[in-house]
Amino acid sequence: MMSEIFNIQFLHPSAFYLLGGLFIPLFKGRIKQGYMLFVTLMAFFAVVNMPHGTYGVYEFLNWKLTFGDVDKLSKVFAYIFTIMGVIGVIYSIHVKNDGEHFAAFYYVGGSLGVTFAGDFLTLFLFWEMMAFSSVFLVWFRKSPVSVDSGFRYLLWHVAGGLILLAGIILQYSISGDLSIQHLPFSGWWPTDLQSLASFLIVIGFIVNAAVPPFGAWLPDAYPAATVTGAVFMSAFTTKTAVYALIRVCAGSEILIVLGVVMAIYGVVYAVLENDARRLLAYHIISQVGYMVAGVGLGTPLAINGVVAHAFCHILYKSLLFMGTGSVLHVTGTSKLTELGGLYKTMPRTMIYTVIGGLSISAFPLFSGFVSKSMTVTAFGEAHLTWAFMALMLASAGTFLHTGLKVPYFIWFGKDRGIKAQEPPWNMELAMIIGSLFCVGLGIFYKPLYALLPHSVHFEPYTAYHTWESLQVLLFTQLGFFLLLKKLWCEDTISLDTDWFPRKGAKALMWLTKPLANIEYNFIGEIYEFIIQKPIMGAAKIFKVIDTVVVDGTLNGLGKLTLACSRKMQNVQSGQIQHYAMFIVAGFIALIIIVMVLPQ
Amino acid sequence: MIEALRTKAAKKLAYGALILLIVVDFIIPRHEVHFFGDKIPGFWSLFGFIACVLIIIISKWIGHLGLMQDESYYDE
Repeated sequence: MMSEIFNIQFLHPSAFYLLGGLFIPLFKGRIKQGYMLFVTLMAFFAVVNMPHGTYGVYEFLNWKLTFGDVDKLSKVFAYIFTIMGVIGVIYSIHVKNDGEHFAAFYYVGGSLGVTFAGDFLTLFLFWEMMAFSSVFLVWFRKSPVSVDSGFRYLLWHVAGGLILLAGIILQYSISGDLSIQHLPFSGWWPTDLQSLASFLIVIGFIVNAAVPPFGAWLPDAYPAATVTGAVFMSAFTTKTAVYALIRVCAGSEILIVLGVVMAIYGVVYAVLENDARRLLAYHIISQVGYMVAGVGLGTPLAINGVVAHAFCHILYKSLLFMGTGSVLHVTGTSKLTELGGLYKTMPRTMIYTVIGGLSISAFPLFSGFVSKSMTVTAFGEAHLTWAFMALMLASAGTFLHTGLKVPYFIWFGKDRGIKAQEPPWNMELAMIIGSLFCVGLGIFYKPLYALLPHSVHFEPYTAYHTWESLQVLLFTQLGFFLLLKKLWCEDTISLDTDWFPRKGAKALMWLTKPLANIEYNFIGEIYEFIIQKPIMGAAKIFKVIDTVVVDGTLNGLGKLTLACSRKMQNVQSGQIQHYAMFIVAGFIALIIIVMVLPQ
Repeated sequence: MIEALRTKAAKKLAYGALILLIVVDFIIPRHEVHFFGDKIPGFWSLFGFIACVLIIIISKWIGHLGLMQDESYYDE
């Protein structure tokens, strides 16, 4: 019952975001800003006070839904998700569009829902909520490019979600059990029904983790999102998927290969990329590659490394997106070929971005150093030398792009005399908080290590390890400056695996033109006859009544009916954005129904 | 401050730091030897430099094979 979810022991942090989000439009100005910040802080404190255990269990039809499965692993992810919620809201607090805040709240709420889900059905519910709310963060950019890219984003996630659902249903039909359990996938392809179920679940997860060839949605959608939306998106989708992979698929060897490929793949594309935010998006793929590989290895040290890395990654990657987002906000572009020389006008933003860059590059004294090295060391200890070397190579690439290329071409490079100034105070405050976390975790890493799921001793600051990192990084820097001419950006886009669906869809459209004609003429007409005609008819009747009534004295009522008839027409708008809104509303209704339903 | 970093003296200082990195690597104690490279002084310096050069050259080469296209590529 409701009382169970709102008792003192366990307050579901999602509930703050999902219920709190509903009231955002009721407030204005400073009160609204204070309210949003208050809700996100409450969600964070709900996580702090949360004891381990199982809470929020509901019977729904024949299934047992568990909303609150709390252990060390779910708690550490909930910590970083709620911290990121606070930072993201501060960064976006000036945004006037309530819809954008609402989408962000449901997106964060969805990822917290996945984190505490104890069964696959609950996980799936929140999984889909994340996709359907985050797509609005792309659409609210309101440019034609972002509308298209949002549709593609949604299609990828709907496809991935359906594969996941197929895996869940298969798993349920085999075991009769929906609870989330460890189902590692061994080998390269499924051999029996059980491994097929694991296989489908892995695919569903790795679509959201942006593992190639299913990851093209990420560099497509993130740079197309709003300035503030991209900050949220950089943090939640892929890391929620990493969390789900740890829960269900730890130790699946296939993930080692995929993860290592991913780490290098992101680096290669980052060389070619001209848009700073798309370059960072490719580096998310590269960084998540370390995590996916670590999950595949599955040793306690590797899993600890993955969790620590996810924690730090959310902070420094969002910081980088905030820095480049500020540049986009102020100058109107994030293309490296159009930027340069901003160190005179935006020096503070440069410092925050460089802190993010040094953190992601795992420079000693920055957060990446104490987290990424744990996973890489786990590969060294497992004597998987090829993976170890490949990940070290990707580390050099990370520094090359995020630590050197992005700051160099935005703040130095060719001075293009762009008029700019520092971003609004709230954006800067969010970047200061992010920077403090990045430096703070690099020095005081013990509290983070205490949150990790396994108790394994690891000391990042050994003399050799520190020296090894410094050598790799500083000699990468030498290479950067020697080859600077070759790295000069080109104003192009890079083809990714979404070439196949994008070109394929065009070919399909051409091939199915006759079919489409039938659909349009025949099915379309039937649809119009069965659904649209009656609605339009009803609307007409309302209008007739309306005019008759207006002739009389009930002028006000007439207006109401007219409004009603207009509303009824709107239900059949044919715009997928509206349908998506209805789906989100349906999710909310479903969750509320499940929670208040008598057991 | 930025201008000071662009002088010849700063450049010399940077090269000096790189040499120092390799020299000190001869005396750094090695507790965690995972493979042969960990025993060779200066191995990671060479690794970092070669990695950087390879990433840039190979990526650009792949890019110019056809991955890099004009921004209007998908519009036609």
